[in-house]
Amino acid sequence: MDKIRRNKFVIFFLVFPGLLVFTFAVLYPIFMSAFYGMTDWKGIGEFNIVGFENYRKVIFEDKVFRTSLLNAAALAFFTVFIQHPIAMFFAIITDKIGGKLESFFRAVFFIPCVISIVVTSKMWVNVLNANYGLLNKFLEAINLKFLKQDWLGHKDIALFSVIFVIMWQGFGYAYLIYYSGIKGIPEELLEAGRIDGANSWQQFIKITLPMLKPVILVNVSIAITASLKQMEPIYLMTNGGPGTRTQFVANYLYMLAFNAQKYGYANAIAVVFVIVCLITTVVVQNIFKSKD
Amino acid sequence: MTSTRYASPSYNGKIKAKAFRYIQILLCTLLTIGCVFPLIWLVDFSLVKANELFGKNFLVWPKKPHWENYYLALTDGKVPQYLVNSVIVTFVSVGLIVLLSVMMSYGFTRMKWKMSKVFLNIVLLGFMIPIHATLLSNFITFSRLNIQDSPIALIIPYVAFNLPQATFIMTGFMDTIPNAIEESALMDGCGIIRLLFTIVFPVLKPAIMTVIITSFINVWNEFIMAATYLTSDRFRTLPFSIYNFAGMYSSNYSAQFAVMTLSALPSLVAYVILNKHITKGIAAGAVKG
Repeated sequence: MDKIRRNKFVIFFLVFPGLLVFTFAVLYPIFMSAFYGMTDWKGIGEFNIVGFENYRKVIFEDKVFRTSLLNAAALAFFTVFIQHPIAMFFAIITDKIGGKLESFFRAVFFIPCVISIVVTSKMWVNVLNANYGLLNKFLEAINLKFLKQDWLGHKDIALFSVIFVIMWQGFGYAYLIYYSGIKGIPEELLEAGRIDGANSWQQFIKITLPMLKPVILVNVSIAITASLKQMEPIYLMTNGGPGTRTQFVANYLYMLAFNAQKYGYANAIAVVFVIVCLITTVVVQNIFKSKD
Repeated sequence: MTSTRYASPSYNGKIKAKAFRYIQILLCTLLTIGCVFPLIWLVDFSLVKANELFGKNFLVWPKKPHWENYYLALTDGKVPQYLVNSVIVTFVSVGLIVLLSVMMSYGFTRMKWKMSKVFLNIVLLGFMIPIHATLLSNFITFSRLNIQDSPIALIIPYVAFNLPQATFIMTGFMDTIPNAIEESALMDGCGIIRLLFTIVFPVLKPAIMTVIITSFINVWNEFIMAATYLTSDRFRTLPFSIYNFAGMYSSNYSAQFAVMTLSALPSLVAYVILNKHITKGIAAGAVKG
């Protein structure tokens, strides 16, 4: 029996197919990008090796790349400090409501998450449209006409509109993770708090919040890495504009490769992007591990 | 005297509790509107003439629904064809994700070999790698291998990018189940393939459910790879059709909304039917991930 567990052929048979697919489509392209990143290739035709010149430019000179990282940081900030508190709040109150209503609300809050990002993004482009958009019509109806905006076209507002849409789409996930965390808190603990005369706020601070800590850490680290990796909503709503105000790394490298024919340079960005993602994940995990 | 003194706070307390409850329900209702109203708006304006969007109302009553928008979506929007493509790609991808992740996880957790931890960690590294960093290079590789513009060009990366999470969920689950049954089956001379299909798969059912759900949502809604690796119309999947159609009928908003509604419908219906499993599965997958 132990013989089978050590059988090299069996191990190979079990592990190889998965590893092959993974290596082929995830790892190999990163190495190829590292190579293409050292060229001045336009995507077709001949190319020259330019060494680490592209990488140097990405890291030290590229302002758009920097803007993209800052936008990701802004998104992470808003997600963690606005979306998450709201999600946690609703996780707590739906838990208190109980019964059929609880299941109903829980189901509804997750609906935006199961709908394709293309549908929701294009929908929001229409909702936020300056001429016929739902939002401007709503503002007009409640006599706040002066607030009407070109929500995705205004250079100072577009980023916040994009962040709002991404938070709207992802709310269900954040909510659901907090909700399942709250369901994991033993009822006796809260009961004991009540008997000791704790009010709702004290219960939240003294019992719920400490018990939720592991869930909060998981949720926050998901939010940070996901913010870094955003692309589709940006591609579909603003394509980084106006100017580069709403640019994100993934969308930027995609534009450079397929619209600007800077294939070599875009690959250099891709590699730096992977490294930034790895470093961020490791740093976040370590900070949270030491806090746990 | 004393009795009223004690009774009144609890009476007040009851009213207070009730008031709190109504406030909670009210807030949840407001959020519900926030989550669903834009979608209702979308469906509403898919049923009227395009120019009604420029009217004053934010919802209109479609006295006579303009089904021709949907007719346009089904014919020029080619929704049925894209739907079939989506179903095929999703079905094959999710099947492979489950099969390969179960096999790999069994290899990593139950088989005895030196490098198992190392290889498991390499696969889990995939969590951190952004899909978008591989788009450029895979685009070139796929065209060199002549598999671009075919369902294979989607299925391979879809499987690859969902394997880390699937493997993580599976190995986590396998660690919690005792392997006594497997041991005795192996003692009786059961082969590894039969063992997988008759014993391991049934035991892993909850984990497999989670993997099916999370990867279904990922694959069904995936857009950017489908937009990049496919260049002709033949194999395109639903999410891309909206993008495509929006370009073709850029001023016919109602027809665009009809395509969007039709594209959202399958996953919405699946969600309504399976909602309990889905919310449970997502929560389990995310917390473990």
